[in-house]
Amino acid sequence: MSQYKIIFTGPVGAGKTTAISSISDAPPVKTDAAASDMTKNRKSSTTVAMDYGVMSLDGGEKVHLYGTPGQERFDFMWDILTQGGIGLILLLDNTRADPFQDMRFFLDAFSQFISDTAVAVGVTQMDLSNTPAISEYQKQLQKLGLNPPVFALDAREHNDVSLLVQALLYTLDPGLVSE
Amino acid sequence: MKKAGQAPIKVALYGMDPRSYKTMELYLKGPCRGIAEVVSEGDALIDIIDADHATAGDILAACRQKVPQRPIVLLSLQTLKIENTHFVQKPVNAEQLMEVLNQLARGKKTKEVLAPPVPVVKQTRGTTDSDQQRIVADNSRPEARQPQRKRSTVENNEGGYTAFLGTLPDIDFNDPEQLLTASYDAKSHLLHYVLSAYKVACHQGSAQQLNSIWKPLLIFPDTRQVWLDADDKQLRVFAGVEQNKMFASNISLVPIDAGTVKEGKAKDKFQDMEAFVWKLTIWTSKGRFPVGINPALPVFLRHWPNFTRLLLIPDAMRITSLLLKGAYTPLDIIKVLNIKPQYVFAFISACHSLGILGQSQRRSDLMLTPEPPKANKKQNLFSKILNKLRGD
Repeated sequence: MSQYKIIFTGPVGAGKTTAISSISDAPPVKTDAAASDMTKNRKSSTTVAMDYGVMSLDGGEKVHLYGTPGQERFDFMWDILTQGGIGLILLLDNTRADPFQDMRFFLDAFSQFISDTAVAVGVTQMDLSNTPAISEYQKQLQKLGLNPPVFALDAREHNDVSLLVQALLYTLDPGLVSE
Repeated sequence: MKKAGQAPIKVALYGMDPRSYKTMELYLKGPCRGIAEVVSEGDALIDIIDADHATAGDILAACRQKVPQRPIVLLSLQTLKIENTHFVQKPVNAEQLMEVLNQLARGKKTKEVLAPPVPVVKQTRGTTDSDQQRIVADNSRPEARQPQRKRSTVENNEGGYTAFLGTLPDIDFNDPEQLLTASYDAKSHLLHYVLSAYKVACHQGSAQQLNSIWKPLLIFPDTRQVWLDADDKQLRVFAGVEQNKMFASNISLVPIDAGTVKEGKAKDKFQDMEAFVWKLTIWTSKGRFPVGINPALPVFLRHWPNFTRLLLIPDAMRITSLLLKGAYTPLDIIKVLNIKPQYVFAFISACHSLGILGQSQRRSDLMLTPEPPKANKKQNLFSKILNKLRGD
C-alpha cells in the first residue's frame, strides 16, 4: 500500500502539533517533553522528536503528517523526513521577535524540498499580534522569488488547516478537482 | 408614481403577521403616496405575498387557484423568478413597488393578458418553477434562506461556502454573447463609496464615517477595520441593489475621532476591512465582472488572497493557482478549469477590489495564451486528500 507524507515545520510554538491534531484521523503521537533550554521561555513543553498524525484515504492509502521538532539541534532529521514528501506546510508565530527571520531560516533549510514540491505558509497567533500583516509576509516572500499561499491560521481550527493544505495541493496542480 | 386624482389600486396582503400587515398598509399610504389601499381578498385587484413567509408556497398556490388571472406580487430577500408573478426585492423600495403596481394596474384596465415582467425563459441553473416554490415555502427558516441547490454545489468547493452569489434574471451565463455583457458598474453601488472612503481614510490617516441613506459605516485605517451595525444578510441585500442619483447625493464622508468613537461601539460589529470589501464585492458582483475589466484580455494576480479569513467563492483556489502560473483571460479561465463564469467573474471582481488583480498590458500576454498546466502525476492522490479534507 502506498504511503505519502506532508511535512509541517516552523519555529517552537508556531502550532505544528496542534495543526496536525486538527486534521489527523488518529490522535497524533506527541513527543513533547519539558523544555530545558531556551525554548522554555516560549513553551513549557516542546516537541523533542517529531509529531505524527495520519489521514486515511479511500482505497486504504494513508497520508502521514509529520511535524518537525522546533529546536535547531534536530535539523539533521529534516532531510530524512522530507524524502518522498508531497509538500511543506510552514507555520510562523506572529508574536515572535522576528518572524521574517524565522521564515527565511526555514525556507532556506527546506529550499531543495520546496523547489521539488511546494510550500504553503500559515501565520499563527495573529489574534495576539496583528503585525506583521499577511501582506508584509507576501512582500518578503516575493523578494525571495516565492509567491506561495500565505494565510492567517488558527491551528486549532480544522477549517483553517484544511484550507492551507488544500492551497498546497492546488499549488501543485491547479487543475485538481475533488472526486 | 400615483397621478393626482387617481383612485388607489386595491391590493390584498398575504403571509404577513399583524404588525407587518399594518406596516405595509401604512407604507402604501405614506412612502408610496397612496398608490394602493389594502382591501379584503374578494375586492382586491392585485395580491401581494411576503414570499419569505413559512407557508408562502401554499399561499401562492391558493391565490392562483382562487382567482387565476389576478396579478401576484412577491416580496422577498432573495431574487425570485416564478412564472406569472412579479417580484419586488426586500427591503422594499417605494419607487420600485409603485412602478410594479402601476404597471399591473394599467394592464388590468386595458384588459390585457398580463405577461410577467420577468418571464422565466432562462433557467440558467435548471431551476424549475416548483423548485422556486419550494424555496419560497422554506424561506421562513433562516438556515434555509440560501438556495438549496446552490449550497450543495458550493459546499463541495474549498470546504464550506455558505453564501450565494445571487441570481440575475437578465443574464444567461450560458450564452456567449450575453456573457460579454455581464458587467456591473461599482459606481452604481455602495461598493464604490466604500472603496473611495477607505482610500481617503488611508490617505489622510484618520478614521472616517461614511453616511448614506442606509446605515453609517465607520472606517478605521489604523487597524484596517470597519464598523457597521448590520448583519451579512442585510449587507448582501443592500450591496446588490443598484443605487440611483438620490443615493449619490446623500453620501457624505466625515472625519471622526477613532478613540472616542470606538469606545461606544459594539465589539462584534467590527470587521476586517479586507474581508468586508471582499464579501461586499461578491454580493455586488452577483457573478458579473466589473466595468473596466475586459473578459477577453488576460488578467494577472499579485499573490494569494488570505482565504482563511475571506468568504469563499467556489473554485477560488483553482483560479488563484492558475493565475499565479500565468496571465489568462477570464474567458480562458472558464474553459481551462471548466468552471462557471459566475465564479470566475465574482473572484476577479473581489480580487480587483482588493487591488491584487490587474489586466495585463504586456504584449506577450496579449499575443499568447499560456498552455494549460499539466496535470500532476499524483493528481488522483491529491483528489483523494481533497475529498478527505472537505469531508466528502
